[in-house]
Amino acid sequence: MDEDILTTLKILIIGESGVGKSSLLLRFTDDTFDPELAATIGVDFKVKTISVDGNKAKLAIWDTAGQERFRTLTPSYYRGAQGVILVYDVTRRDTFAKLDNWLTELETYCTRNDIVKMLVGNKIDKENREVDRNEGLKFARKHSMLFIEASAKTCDGVQCAFEELVEKIIQTPGLWESESQNRGVKLSNDEDGHRGACGGYCSVL
Amino acid sequence: MVIQPGKCTTTQGDMFSMKALSPAHIAQPSNDVTVRFRRASGSPCYPSHNSFREAAGLQRFMMAADSEPESEVFEITDFTTASEWERFISKVEEVLNDWKLIGASSGKSLEKGAYTTEAWEEKSDEIAFADFRFSVTHHYLVQESNDKDAKEELVEDVLPVSMQDLLCMNNDFPPRAHCLVRWYGLREFVVIAPAANNDAVLSESKCNLLLSSVSIALGNTGCQVPVFVQIHHKWRRMYVGECQGPGVRTDFEMVHLRKVPSQYTHLSGLLDIFKSKIGCPLTPLPPINISIRLTYVLQDWQQYFWPQQPPDIDALVGGEVGGLEFGKLPFGACEDPISELHLATTWPHLTEGIIVDNDVYSDLDPLQAPQWSVRVRKADNPQCLLSDFVNEFFKVCRRKESTDEILGRSAFEEDGKDADISHALSKLTEPAPVPIHKLSVTNMVHTAKKKIRKHRGIDESPLNNDVLNTILLYLFPDAADKLTDVSEARTSTSAGSLPPPDNEDYNLYIQFKSAPSDSLTYKLALCLCMINFYHGGVKGVAHLWQEFVLEMRFRWENNIFIPGLASGAPDLRCCLLHQKLQMLNCCIERKKARDEGKKVNSDRSSADTGKPDGSKESDKEKEVGKSWESWSDSEDEFFECLSDTEDLKANGQEGGKKGIPKDGSKETISLKPEGRLHQHGNLTLLHPGDPLYVPVTQEPAPMTEDLLEEQSEVLAKLGTSAEGAHLRARMQSACLLSDMESFKAANPGCCLEDFVRWYSPRDYIEEEIVDEKGNVVIKGDLSARMKIPSNMWVEAWETAKPIPARRQRRLFDDTREAEKVLHYLAVQKPADLARHLLPCVIHAAVLKVKEEESLEDISSVKKIIKLIITHSSKVLRFPNPEDKKLEEIIGQILSVEATIARARSLKAKFGVEKCDKEEERKDLERFVNSFLEQPEVSVIGAGRGPAGTIIHKLFMSAQRLTEPTEETASMMPLDDELKRSGSMDEKRMNLGSAADFPLPAGREVILRTTVPRPAPYSKALPQRMYSVLTKEDFRLAGAFSSDTTFF
Ligand SMILES: Nc1nc2c(ncn2[C@@H]2O[C@H](COP(=O)(O)OP(=O)(O)OP(=O)(O)O)[C@@H](O)[C@H]2O)c(=O)[nH]1
Ligand SMILES: [Mg+2]
Repeated sequence: MDEDILTTLKILIIGESGVGKSSLLLRFTDDTFDPELAATIGVDFKVKTISVDGNKAKLAIWDTAGQERFRTLTPSYYRGAQGVILVYDVTRRDTFAKLDNWLTELETYCTRNDIVKMLVGNKIDKENREVDRNEGLKFARKHSMLFIEASAKTCDGVQCAFEELVEKIIQTPGLWESESQNRGVKLSNDEDGHRGACGGYCSVL
Repeated sequence: MVIQPGKCTTTQGDMFSMKALSPAHIAQPSNDVTVRFRRASGSPCYPSHNSFREAAGLQRFMMAADSEPESEVFEITDFTTASEWERFISKVEEVLNDWKLIGASSGKSLEKGAYTTEAWEEKSDEIAFADFRFSVTHHYLVQESNDKDAKEELVEDVLPVSMQDLLCMNNDFPPRAHCLVRWYGLREFVVIAPAANNDAVLSESKCNLLLSSVSIALGNTGCQVPVFVQIHHKWRRMYVGECQGPGVRTDFEMVHLRKVPSQYTHLSGLLDIFKSKIGCPLTPLPPINISIRLTYVLQDWQQYFWPQQPPDIDALVGGEVGGLEFGKLPFGACEDPISELHLATTWPHLTEGIIVDNDVYSDLDPLQAPQWSVRVRKADNPQCLLSDFVNEFFKVCRRKESTDEILGRSAFEEDGKDADISHALSKLTEPAPVPIHKLSVTNMVHTAKKKIRKHRGIDESPLNNDVLNTILLYLFPDAADKLTDVSEARTSTSAGSLPPPDNEDYNLYIQFKSAPSDSLTYKLALCLCMINFYHGGVKGVAHLWQEFVLEMRFRWENNIFIPGLASGAPDLRCCLLHQKLQMLNCCIERKKARDEGKKVNSDRSSADTGKPDGSKESDKEKEVGKSWESWSDSEDEFFECLSDTEDLKANGQEGGKKGIPKDGSKETISLKPEGRLHQHGNLTLLHPGDPLYVPVTQEPAPMTEDLLEEQSEVLAKLGTSAEGAHLRARMQSACLLSDMESFKAANPGCCLEDFVRWYSPRDYIEEEIVDEKGNVVIKGDLSARMKIPSNMWVEAWETAKPIPARRQRRLFDDTREAEKVLHYLAVQKPADLARHLLPCVIHAAVLKVKEEESLEDISSVKKIIKLIITHSSKVLRFPNPEDKKLEEIIGQILSVEATIARARSLKAKFGVEKCDKEEERKDLERFVNSFLEQPEVSVIGAGRGPAGTIIHKLFMSAQRLTEPTEETASMMPLDDELKRSGSMDEKRMNLGSAADFPLPAGREVILRTTVPRPAPYSKALPQRMYSVLTKEDFRLAGAFSSDTTFF
């Protein structure tokens, strides 16, 4: 059954408390919106298999608590993640302002330097927007991230966000194949070994 | 086409026939081959061949006349009845077609040195002749195709570019090239050779067949690229070939002998062969162009003995540094990494008659040669210290034995470890801390050794006391300072106390997932590496490790911090072993705080002089930070030692319930606030209106990466169902509950809203509303998600009792975690250890190489080091890197080490340091460094320039050293140079400096001319003959062109 699954990808969702991380994930995995979702304690975990460009990928998605106090616990889950979704709330500027901190944390704890990052501006269904789309775009460009605005409530952009991320991960060589394709460094063309029997390149003596 | 070597009657003077050789040489073993390909019609062996070829030729001309694709018809008809041989020919043609080698070749004459500076490429294919497989390879110089315009200008009967190359003098004697390039100066050619695992083509008839096929294929296709066939054993490098152009053909022929006939050892003899071979009917003969290169080899460097010796660890122990320090890796080659110097003296352009070189006299004085160039021969795999170190350590990774197996018994299993554990546990129950002022590494060493000795019954351990003590003192410098209160040791030795240098080199540990270069882990890695190399190999490693583990336990039991580790939770960017040691330090920190708290309490009860941080004056609490030290004021003894092994993760809630203090009744009655850290801004509680206090909280449990992995596995296993998610949250709620209890204790009368305002302010929503009276008031409420009935937060809040952190059940069971770490350490086999620490060793090796390079400043090495770092960081950041990749990295480090060692060797040989004049020294340095980057370096000013003078002297002194061993010289005074002569040159008169040099190890001569062949009225075409004479063999490679239209 699992035979056609290309790979299992570890994805991480981070961002300030209450920006809608768990809601986004729930929308993606169960296609529902539950206003009665409790604030996350520690980390939560969901699995979903998706197909991108005909490749099946199993996503193991870790939803972390944005709560300050849980943060000492969560960085450990950064280990080995191939993709990360960084969420802010477009109706709360403070959640956007904290993005830099999250990136620093990511840099510190994530074990791969080629992790694929996606920025999601959530809750665009709400009216009291405080962060302009362009600001998000600018931030994402500055930090080489993917960017999308979404709403867990109306479903806007949610599916797309996850698919884009997975596609990008799959396109990043060495990221999903657990590194097996590291090419060696060709150092010097020391051809002294070719001396004697020829056919190759050699010197007179 | 007939090939009948030695048999057929030939035109006179055919030097490539066996006939031309004296019987003595014919009698040489079959290694001597003379191949002669003569073309004539009517071969008895292959009657079809000739007609085939004629047909092909005809066809081509027809095509040239009107480009109708008749060839296809021709080929198709033939295919139906094709013999193996015909099929072979068409396969050759197919390959030539596929590679687009058909048609007129073009190209300007190449720049000087282009064969060395430009890239060569090759394409290969395999074709079969019956069941015999051949590989066909196209070798070509990669050229930018900006000569497209040139192509258009092509005139009909211009010579194929390969024929032009025969005469070009810009790329004579390339330092490194395919032999066919060296011999014929070609920029492009095809070689057909037996494929791997196929026998060499030895028989004459097979050789003939192959060459005939080539000839036909060339004719059929109109390909102007020369095609060669490799015959005889591969090592002999025997090739015959052909190149065709419109109305012209060049035959490539070859003579290869073991021993040189005396007439070919000098220029005049070679000129004779050349002339007779081209058989030019013209008189006077057009001038013959001559290029000569004599190569001299210098092997004797005796005047510069190689100074580096492997350092001695005993010297080190005795306080001497001796090139080796702990924490520093050794570096350099143990033998001279430069074995030979080859001096090529070249006369690039002579004409016949300018110079005399015959069997009695020679004008070829190396010192007078207009061009000098030098190359060095590198020693194959010179033994290098750093690489040896790393390699030997790497080998430990593959050992299977456990520490005990290596040391010969299981000391620590029997009374060692068990005793230690029970001891450790009993210590926890003893209130008084052990006096630890007499800590000394030596004492520890003795105890450990005694244990080992007792079990092995022999009075020897892999490491002697001195070595072991030195190492332990190096690793644990705090132990040396007996006078210092060891409890202070931490601040002085911990890396955390100094801000770590923020530079690229220091941060390399992040890339390599090793450990900081000033950490205990890193030092341990270097010591083990050294021990492994000098002291008993893996036995020494096992022994030191055992001592190390004992030291860890000692420190845990005696509350002594482990030095050389950054404080705080394990750094997940470092290797696991480093994290484990940091974890142990965390445990020690908490245990120490607890023990000291007990001590303070017992002190206080005897003399009730309140401590400054006494908690009785609760309003003025002075709890410092959140650390455990601040708990030391506890009045009620509650240091639950968790001997029950229930799973911490699963008992968050229950723990809260169990954690009710012994005198819980008193606690709940009392509304006295406890465990306050500080006021939280100017927030006040919603109901009593008192200030809201942030409580002292428990630090969450530090985790190493393996624990985290375990935990996340457990969490993931709960699945994605609602129950699973709930359970998961509950398992992680211990910390939340503990914080709630602390909060309740610090803020009597508080409610969940108060807690949320501190803990998760976004979940407390404040709105401005207008009340009945028309006043704007701020009304706050919990967020929707906090109000969900019986959500985890509400549930936890209801369970939480007001208990200050110091009296709560510990979130982190340091005793248990410490024992887990100590056990983990104890069961590590030397191989495990080596794997843990290899990143540190590679890290250290890279730093070492970097440091050494900076002294020499070799730009190519700089680049390679950068590559090594990127490569290593890719390999090492992943768990369990493959051995193959690790080997690759180590190999790369070796190559850099060898290169730097070579640079040093060359500098010493050329006396760069001794050179006084700044300008000259710079030049010389540049000259010497270029050996590392270029295959051949030309000497400015040849024999007369500054570098040339040094080289001359080097040869002279080497000659003087070798001279006495020769019979002829032994009777003569050393300086009687004029009379000296080599065996072969015995009768030749030496001029000038010839005696300063040994006999040339290689004599290369290229003769070139343009003459009409075969008839006087034929077109004048390029003729070339290359000859090389070395100690081992003699070779003539001729390319003779003839007019195929007018003959
Ligand atoms: N209008 C609107 N509300 C949303 C949206 N996404 C989430 N919310 C609401 O925002 C609140 C917080 O959502 P959560 O998904 O729990 O937030 P979180 O980021 O997981 O928070 P933590 O677990 O504390 O880190 C909830 O009340 C959601 O109903 C959205 O797209 N639109
Ligand atoms: Mg959440």
